[in-house]
Formats: sequence, C-alpha cells, structure tokens
Amino acid sequence: MPHIEIDGRAVPFAEGQTILEAARAVGVDIPTLCHLPGRPPHASCLLCIVRVGASPRMLPSCATQAVDGMLVTNDAADVRDARRTAIELILSDHLGDCLGPCQGVCPAHMDIPDMMRHVSAGRFAQAIVTVKETIALPAILGRICPEICEKGCRRSSSDGALAVCKTKRFVADRDLATGAPYMPELPPDSGRTVAIVGAGPAGCAAAYYLRRRGHACTIYDDHEKPGGMMRYAIPRDILPEAVLDAEIGVILGMGAAFQGGVVLGRDASVDDLLTRHGAVLLAAGDASQVNSSALEGLKRGTQGLQVDRHTMMTSRQGVFGAGGVLIATRHAVRSVADGRAAAESIHQYLGGSPAHAPDKAYSVHIGKLDSEQMVPYLQLGSKRGRSVPAGGAEQGFSETEARAEAARCLHCDCRKASSCQLRTVAHEYGASQQRFKGDRREFRVDLSHPAVVFEPGKCIACGICVRIAAEGRDKLGMGFSGRGFDVRAAVPFDGMLGDGLQETALACADACPTGALARATGSAL
Amino acid sequence: MIALFPSRRTQAPPPPPIEVLPEPGAFVEAVVADTGREPQALIPILQAVQRRFRYLPPEALHRVAELTRSSPADIMGVATFYSQFRTTPVGRHMVSVCHGTACHVKGSMLIDDALRRHLRLGAGDDTDQAREFTLQKVACVGCCTLAPVIQIDGVTYGNLKPETAPKALRDFLETAGRAEDAGLAPIADGRQAGEIRITIDSCCIAGGALEVHDALVQAARQSRAPVAVKPVTCGGMCHQIPLVEVAAGPREPATYAKVTPQEAEQIVRRHFPGSGLGARVRARVAGVMDRLVEAGAGDVLQRHALDVRDKPVCAFLGPQRRIATEQTGSQDPMSLDEYRAAGGYEGLRRALADMTPEGIVDTMTRSGLRGRGGAGFPTGVKWGKVRQTKAATKYVVVNGDEGDPGAFMDRMLLESFPYRVLEGLTIAARAVGAEEGYLYIRAEYPHAVTRIREAIRRCETAGLLGDDIMGSGSRLSLTVMEGAGAFVCGEETALIASIEGRRGMPTLRPPYPAESGLWGMPTLINNVETYAMVPWIVRNGWAAFATLGTEKSRGTKVFALAGKVRRGGLIEVPMGVTIRQVVDEIGGGVSDGGVFKAVQMGGPSGGCIPASMADTPVDYDALQAAGAIMGSGGMVVLDDRTCMVDIARYFLEFTQHESCGKCTFCRLGTRRMLDILERLCRGEGRKGDIEKLEELSGMVKAGSICGLGQTAPNPVLSTLRYFRDEYEAHVQGRCPAGVCRPLVHYTINQKCIGCTKCAQDCPVDAIAVEPFDVHAIDDALCTRCDACRRVCPVDAVDLSTGREKSHAAH
Repeated sequence: MPHIEIDGRAVPFAEGQTILEAARAVGVDIPTLCHLPGRPPHASCLLCIVRVGASPRMLPSCATQAVDGMLVTNDAADVRDARRTAIELILSDHLGDCLGPCQGVCPAHMDIPDMMRHVSAGRFAQAIVTVKETIALPAILGRICPEICEKGCRRSSSDGALAVCKTKRFVADRDLATGAPYMPELPPDSGRTVAIVGAGPAGCAAAYYLRRRGHACTIYDDHEKPGGMMRYAIPRDILPEAVLDAEIGVILGMGAAFQGGVVLGRDASVDDLLTRHGAVLLAAGDASQVNSSALEGLKRGTQGLQVDRHTMMTSRQGVFGAGGVLIATRHAVRSVADGRAAAESIHQYLGGSPAHAPDKAYSVHIGKLDSEQMVPYLQLGSKRGRSVPAGGAEQGFSETEARAEAARCLHCDCRKASSCQLRTVAHEYGASQQRFKGDRREFRVDLSHPAVVFEPGKCIACGICVRIAAEGRDKLGMGFSGRGFDVRAAVPFDGMLGDGLQETALACADACPTGALARATGSAL
Repeated sequence: MIALFPSRRTQAPPPPPIEVLPEPGAFVEAVVADTGREPQALIPILQAVQRRFRYLPPEALHRVAELTRSSPADIMGVATFYSQFRTTPVGRHMVSVCHGTACHVKGSMLIDDALRRHLRLGAGDDTDQAREFTLQKVACVGCCTLAPVIQIDGVTYGNLKPETAPKALRDFLETAGRAEDAGLAPIADGRQAGEIRITIDSCCIAGGALEVHDALVQAARQSRAPVAVKPVTCGGMCHQIPLVEVAAGPREPATYAKVTPQEAEQIVRRHFPGSGLGARVRARVAGVMDRLVEAGAGDVLQRHALDVRDKPVCAFLGPQRRIATEQTGSQDPMSLDEYRAAGGYEGLRRALADMTPEGIVDTMTRSGLRGRGGAGFPTGVKWGKVRQTKAATKYVVVNGDEGDPGAFMDRMLLESFPYRVLEGLTIAARAVGAEEGYLYIRAEYPHAVTRIREAIRRCETAGLLGDDIMGSGSRLSLTVMEGAGAFVCGEETALIASIEGRRGMPTLRPPYPAESGLWGMPTLINNVETYAMVPWIVRNGWAAFATLGTEKSRGTKVFALAGKVRRGGLIEVPMGVTIRQVVDEIGGGVSDGGVFKAVQMGGPSGGCIPASMADTPVDYDALQAAGAIMGSGGMVVLDDRTCMVDIARYFLEFTQHESCGKCTFCRLGTRRMLDILERLCRGEGRKGDIEKLEELSGMVKAGSICGLGQTAPNPVLSTLRYFRDEYEAHVQGRCPAGVCRPLVHYTINQKCIGCTKCAQDCPVDAIAVEPFDVHAIDDALCTRCDACRRVCPVDAVDLSTGREKSHAAH
C-alpha cells in the first residue's frame, strides 16, 4: 500500500484518497469546517492546510490527493500560524456572540439565556440545574445580588433589561419549595479532604463544588452557624433565615461537614490544617479582621491576601484563597464565583496536575447595537416590558410573572454555542476576533422556518448546506449568493428560509459548522 | 459588412420614448427554445434576458428555473456572481466609468465625482431622478490609451476631464438617436485608383474613428473618385488615432494622425481630386497640410517622411517585431482573402498535410513558446499533455477573458486578427486531437465577439473549420461564449466552470484541465495571444521563433503601453528588450513633464518596477525576480504624481472585488489588506499596519487556492519593497505624491491677483467669486480635482500633502 508521511509518521492511503482522508483514517487530527465527508471537496475554509514538501505554498488537505512518498507537515508552527490566521479572518466577519453579553458580565458567568429558555417553557427542574452549574446559592443571591449581569442585557438600552436576578430567585425558591431540592449526583469519594476556613458565600460555594468533585470537605467558622456575612451582616427581612438554612442545608446534605466556633490562629493554624487535609481554602472574609498571626507567611497586598489570578493559590503551596479574604469589599456573587473557581483549582491540585481554575469560556462578541440595529434583534423576544412582582419585592415573581419575564429574553447566546466547530477551533488555536477587525455586518435573522433559525451574519460560506440542499428535493433549496467578500448562503430569489428548506432543513442545521443555521430552541420560537 | 463594424449607432439602439417590453415569462420561453435547457445555456439565457430588460426581472428568473435544468440555487448563484448581471431595474442608459489602471492614474475618481454631481446622485444612489442614466464602475474597458474613459451603453468617450465628462452625457443623448446611415460600406466599384485605410477598433471608435470613417466615405462619394474606404487592422499607434492611411497610385502611402471629420474630407480631396473640386477648397487643403506638417508634433504624418522627419514615431514602430500582430495596419481584419494572401492558413495547411500531431507539439516545444496569459507555462508541454491523455472527447479553449485592468492586447488581436487566432486554434486542435472548441471572450468586448463570430462563419464556409478542414478530413467546430463580467474566469478552472454554466469558482489543481477539464475531459486552454503566435511558428519553423528573445523567454510579446507615457499603444517587441527601451524609445518617455517613477506590470497579479530598475529586461524570470510578473502584458507607466500606496490600494480593491469568495485567505484576507490600505490612504494608519500588511500578504500568497489569491498581494509586496518610505509617510499622515485625497489640501497664497479664474473653473463652487481679493478655498467642499491649480496664471494655488491643512508651499 502506498504511504504518505505526516510529520514523520508513515500513513497508508488508498488510491484516490486525499491527505485529509488518509490522516483521519489513522486518527491524525486536521481541523476543517467546510469538509463534508463522502462529498467532493469545497476547499473553502482552508483550516485544513498543510505543507507538502518544501513548497512555500500550503495546500488544503481536503482537496489534495495523496501521492506515494508525499511529505506532509501538519503540526508545525508555520502551519498553525496560517490556520490561526484563517480562523481570525473568518472571525473578523462572523457576527455573533457565542455567549450572551449578560453571561460575560455576570461575575459567576451563569448561563442566563439557558435558564430563561427553561423558565419560559416551564421546565423549572432543568432551570435549577443550569443555575447551579455556576451559582451554588441562588436563592440567597436572588435576594442580595446587585444585579450586575442586567447591565449587560441587550434589552437594557431599549425597554429595560431582563429581571435576571428575580427570575433566578424564582427558580431557586421554587426548587426549595418542592421539599426535595435539586441535589447533583455525586461521584465516588476521592479519598482526599479539603479544609475550608469560613462558611460565607465563598466557602459554601467551594464546598458545593468540591463535593461535586467527590472530595470530602470541612468548613470551619468562628460562628456557631454557617453563613458568614449572609447570616450575620444582612438584615433578616431581606434574607430570611429559612432561605439561608435551606440553601446551605443542601450543601451540608451533600456531605460537607461544618465545625463552628473555630477561630483561625486560636483553635487551628494553616499548618495544622495542611497536615490533616490535602488542601486548605481560606475564605474567612476581610483579611484585616483575621488574626494576623494566622496568615503569617502568606503574601498580602493592600486589599487582602495575594493569590494567583488563575489558580487562586496563595504564595504557599496547597493553600488557596477566595472571597473577601482577597478583596474585603467583594460582592457575594463574586465570592460565590471565587469559591467555584477555587474548588476547581483545588480539584486539579489534588489530582496531581498543576492547579488551574476553570477555562474561561471562549466567546466572540457583536458589541453594542444601536437602536436601528436593535430592531431586527428585538423580534427574538416577547414584546412586553420588564416585569415587576405584583406581590412586592419580598414575594418575588409568581410563576406566571417569571415565565413572562423569561419570554422577553432575546437569546443573544448562540444556539450552537456548545456544538459550534468554529468556536472550538478558535479556542484551540487561541484565535483573536479583534486582530483583523473590520466593518460589522448588519444583523439579520430569519425566523420563517418552524424548526430552523437562519442568521446570515454567522455564515462562513462553507457551502455545506448548499451541497446538502442540492441533494434534496426542496423546491428552492439553498445556494450561494454574491461574490467575493459578500458571498453567503441564501435562499434563492430572495426567499425566506421557510420557503427554501423543507426536507433538508434539519440536516443542514445539524451540519452547519456555526450558528448560521441552527435548530430553533427554547421559547424564543 | 455593416454588421461587422457595429458603430455606436448599431450597437446601442436608443430605446423608443415609450418602450414596449415583452412579458418576461414569454420572452424566456422563446430564449430557452432557442438556447437550450442544459446548464451551459444558463449564462447565455440570462444575458439575453438582460439585453432585453436591462436587468433580470424576478419573473424571468422563476421562469428560467421552471424551463431549464438549472435549479433556483444555480440561477441565483450565477445571477449574483457575474457583475454583468443586475437584479434591480436601471436607468435607460448605463454609464460605465472605467476604473482600469490607466484611467485610475489619470483621475477616473474625479470623473466619477463629476458625473455624480452632474446627475445629482446621493450617496449610495446610482440612477438619476429622471432614470435616464445609471452610473456603474467597471474594471477596464480596454481603451487604456484614451484614459480616462467612460462608456455610455456601447459608446466610448475618452480623454475626459472632470469638466468635460458631463458633456459626454449630453453628447450621447444628442447623437445616440441619429439614424443609421449607409455609413460604413466601403466604396468598391471595381475601378479603384486607391485605398483609404482607417483603423476601427474599439479604442479607435472611442477616439472618433467612426465619424472620420463616415466623413471619408461621404467625401469619397462626393468626389466620385474610384477609391475604397477600408477599415483595417490595428496598428497599435493608439496615441495617434484616428489614424488614416491613403494609398494612391505608385506613391508611398501617406499617413495622417489624429484626423478630424473636417480634415477627412480635405484629405480625400487632396489625394483623389474629383470633378467637383474647386480651387478655393484645394488651396485650403494645402494650407491645412502645411500647418500640420510644420507643427511637427506628430499631428499629421506622412510615411515617406517618417524615417527622416519624425524620429519618435519611427522609434515607436522601429524596435518592434511583429508576429502576433503581423500585417498590422494594412489588412481588412475581416478579409479572409487578404489574410490568406499574406501567408495566412499556410501554417494550418502544413500542419494538416506535412506534420503529425506529435510533430506539431514538438515544434511548439522547440520554439520555446510560453503561455502569454501570464504564468508562462511552456506551451509545447501543455499541448503534449493533452495529446497524451486518452479520452473519447477533448476540447480546445481560447481564454479571451482578458481581465487585467491596463491590458487590451487580446481584444485587439481578436478584433484585428481574428483569423490568426482561429488558425492557431485549429492547429492546436489538430495537435491535441480535439474536434470541439470554445472561445471564451469577456463581456466588455462586444466588437471582438461580433468579429470572431463572423470570422468563424466565414471559415466554415471556406472549409477552414467544420467537418473537413482543407480537405484533410479533420474536424473542428467552435462555439463562442461571452463572459459575464468576472475577472477570476481568466483562471482556467474558473473559466471551465463558467463555460459549464456555473459560478466561476476555481478548484484546486491538480487535476489540471489537460487531464480533466471541460465536462471532465482533457482540455487545452491557451490565451488568445498564445494562439496568435502559433501560425507564424508553424509557417516559419520553430527555429525562427527561438532565435528571438532570451534564452528562457523566446519570441516576442505584445504589450499594452499606457498610463503616464507620451505615446501609448499596442506594441510587440522581442523578449529581452529593457523596460527603459519600451518606455523611452517606444513610448517617448513620460507625458506632461512628469518624472518617470515606475512601471506597473502584470496588473493585479503583478508589481511595480521602479525607474531605478528600468534596465530590467522584459522576460518572465527577470520580471518575477524584480517582484512583478509578465502577466498578460499590461504596462502602465507611473510618474511622480502617482502614489504607490494608492496604487497598491487600487489593485487590492480590484482583486478584493473580483475574488470569487471561495477560500478564506482570498475572500477575507484581501479584504482586510484593503482595510489597512484604505486606512493608510485616509491618513488613519496605525503603528504596526505595515507589518500586519506584510504578514497578511504572506498568508494570502501561501494559502489561497488559485492564482488570483496567490498573486493578489504582489502589488502590495512590490511597492513595499521599493517604496516603503511612502507607506511610512502615510502612517504619519502624509501622501508625498499628493494623491490621497484626505491627505491633500489646496490653499491660495498671497501671489493671488484675484482674477477669479480658479473660482470659475471650480466644479463644486468651493472658491467664492471675489474679484481682486485673494481667493480662498473651502477645504470641506474641495474635491482635489486640481482644476484651480492648473488654471491659475500666477502660481498662487498651493498643494500640501500632509494630514493637517497647511499653507506651506508644495
């Protein structure tokens, strides 16, 4: 059998196979966005370029026939550079947000649009799962959060931001009210233990996520009851004790231990804790209020303990920090986010790999839309204005109110955020959307199809839908429109998507490598 | 005969006041019945629809989808890919403002501005209120020596200035309605005493040759002299048109340049005095002649005096060596007899009777001929490959999609030497074993299409094409395919897609067309000029050709010399002559007192060779080493009033517009390069822009899948290589050449005597008419047309080239 050599590895191929096909057959990874297996190559995205021999040119492996003895370079700096450039060029003309702007602004990066979709559709049990993915104490935060995320809401510039915080509180209250609140499935015990100093928002959140990773943990606090500032600094009429107990109760119910009346520096030292536990998380709040000898040997800045921004680890190996101990004035929501980040980092650390906080989710951004550009955008949500709880702020939203408010969500996040191949390669190659920034396309969305949404601004002209549609029998189908920079997939004769795709619609949506064609999801449709 | 030389009147029949258009659906039915319903009929069908309705009505497109095998997606794809097609209604007349290279460096933007002002078009509008004219930008109409040029429907107006451009619109409305007269029929009654020859190619027509022709015919009739007025092949002396040659009796023919209709009449009377000629008129003619000859500026030339009296013109002709353009200026391009009498079809006769196909291929290989379309691939090797590939059907294709702005030799060859191209093609078909062929000719060349179609018809009648060529039993049938406006179709795989009726999107080679081309069959594709070289080579033998030129670039090359040069035109020179010889000896140096700065060669795929390297020989490898390419042979001379960043921006705008849009590096890479260049030309350059431009250039070159993208960065890279200081100046907000409009400011200094001349000439009233006061220019209104500076009698208009308006003298 003839062979090509890919990065020095002999790869056999069958007559007529391309470099890409030969590579894939042996599991060599070459990225591509426009390839449709089994169909003639389109050679459009150019992500699959490789170097053949010593030629200064790079060739698309999807369209280059393998020839016996061919020397192919796939994994090399210049090939990666070229691929990253191709991705960055595509991103420079890709109009969309991977994640909703609200999600980026929320300190905990909660998947707000997803929660809204569930609430709007009445899927409350799923909504709480989404919420607790990033926020361990939503019923509490739903009462005390300064609603930072709402500043990022696209609707804030037109008819008022979504009431995100109140909706989240509704989801959490409803969950607690079931009597059997959501409890994530826990993995088997890891055999490792973590000491958490401080039972405030950071410590409780860290305990929640450490338990989800299977680690035993003990929360030490100088107070008798857990909750920290949530219990001892916030008035009860704002945050009723029952809510506090119920939500923290879930964490304790997951197996986190609590030991009250333990003062760091008096009853225990960091050294002690480190001998008894695999790691220590300092989450005791305002560092200036902590017994200074207790923090001896740890680097401090003007505001509090210094930790590595990415790993949350202090200057001492195995000792981490979160919440007010880093910056005294931290909002509870930031502390909750810190607690989760520290938990993830500690999880890595305990597993023997270098500590690192959860990867920052990759997202491209549309940026600000002016009022004219908002017009097509606003059709993605219901037309009513921001809701106010009829029963007053303490009561929170009723089910009807919550669902109505959630229906206002414009779902700025991409329908394909979790399956978009462009996003995956952009993340993998560390591509910047800004490097070749150019004029922005106009936002357009085609909602004419019952099951598929079409956003031409996200089209990368890969031709996959055009090829799939050409094999179907839909009357109009899908084709290429325009030339050069303006090439886009479009329904012929200025038709809407509903006119163009029928039997091939879902196949096109599923094969589209970006969110240009996507299955309609959630309440927006 | 008339149909062969479509005049402005036959070509652009003015619509009647109330136009009665057929119902689109019914019209489509008729066209489809005529053209066919196969995919390759799609482009011709849409062209027919657009000719009739001036755009593609939606009803028509729906009907095409119903009646043909093309799907709605195919139809939309094609209708939106080719720039010829319009999907919205337009005004009664299309005004195409040429933005070819020569037009660009001679101010086509100012012409565009002037027309927009005249038609009162707002931003984004293209049609005036009365819906009389629709303005569009076109890449190049191939009349580079008349730059700047506009075309109104089929009528070309050249040598325009911002102030004269609106007059062209008026002239068009006044003259377009003129009734067709007997105009072009030559007088031939069998008792000829002489012949009056006039070149009527597209650019000559733009220069007024038809009017002169009409005047000559009229005068010849009135004089009742036995003389024929004969349209002849292009002589390439485009800077002298309309060019008239009079052959009478035994004397040397006399040549007159830049003839006006009034002078035409006098010329006839001088050489062919008829019975009605009075002494008074005779004297007047003599007077005109004396004046013109003595003026000595080449306004009127007499051939017998050329070698002694007018060296520049002699030089224009002298160093040239004509193969593709053999028999220039003397033959009727449509006369098959004249072509044969001068050795035409001798090559084909030999190829059929005396040579084996392998022998023909071998002759091509040994001649050293390389493809004249630009890349310079050895012709014999290509022919051999097609010859060797086994297949039931093979095709030969003429690539006449000459798209480089600044190049027009293919148009001239097709218009002036149609039989030579056909003979070359027929020899090629014999060599590779093809019996079917296509001539793909760009949409902007209607005259070429008409002439080649007629030439094919005549060859079929004469047994030079068809089922039994010259009695040899060989067959070849030819089809002419008109392009629809897409530069990328000059790329052979895109050209194939276009003939097949698809969007002109290139595919990765291999497979090469020689193995798998048109409909998957082996296909030989050569450029027009390549085929035009073939008959001479076969007739004279490979050795004769191989002795010309340089070791690796044999033979001759046709160039279109244009831009800031005194004598532009079509020239054919042996390979190896230097750029300096071409510019100085043939072109007569830079025009209008400018300083020679560079030559742009190879159009959008080529580069700029600086004056300091003018001794570079014209040869494939030397040009490539210098950062340019031979290309199809456009040679645009640039002077010190040309901004090299602007030139790079100009070409990127072109390639960006012409990119098919398939591969990422070309579709988006060229756009982002253009973004940076536009930024620089607006004075908004940023630190790092030059480096980013270089980096992107490298990526686009390395990663694009076809020649368009791979060569698109060349204009940027070559100007960066030789004129980096100009880029750096732009980053700092200066345009040293004073071209980039946002960086240029006009001011009036204290020398001003208040004569108001500038104010009167200002097309936008940016200067108030204040007699005896020092005038002032409103910078916000000023369009930088330079009219004030040109008209000022006391040198009081200053031009500053920095970002901020300043009063510093230039």
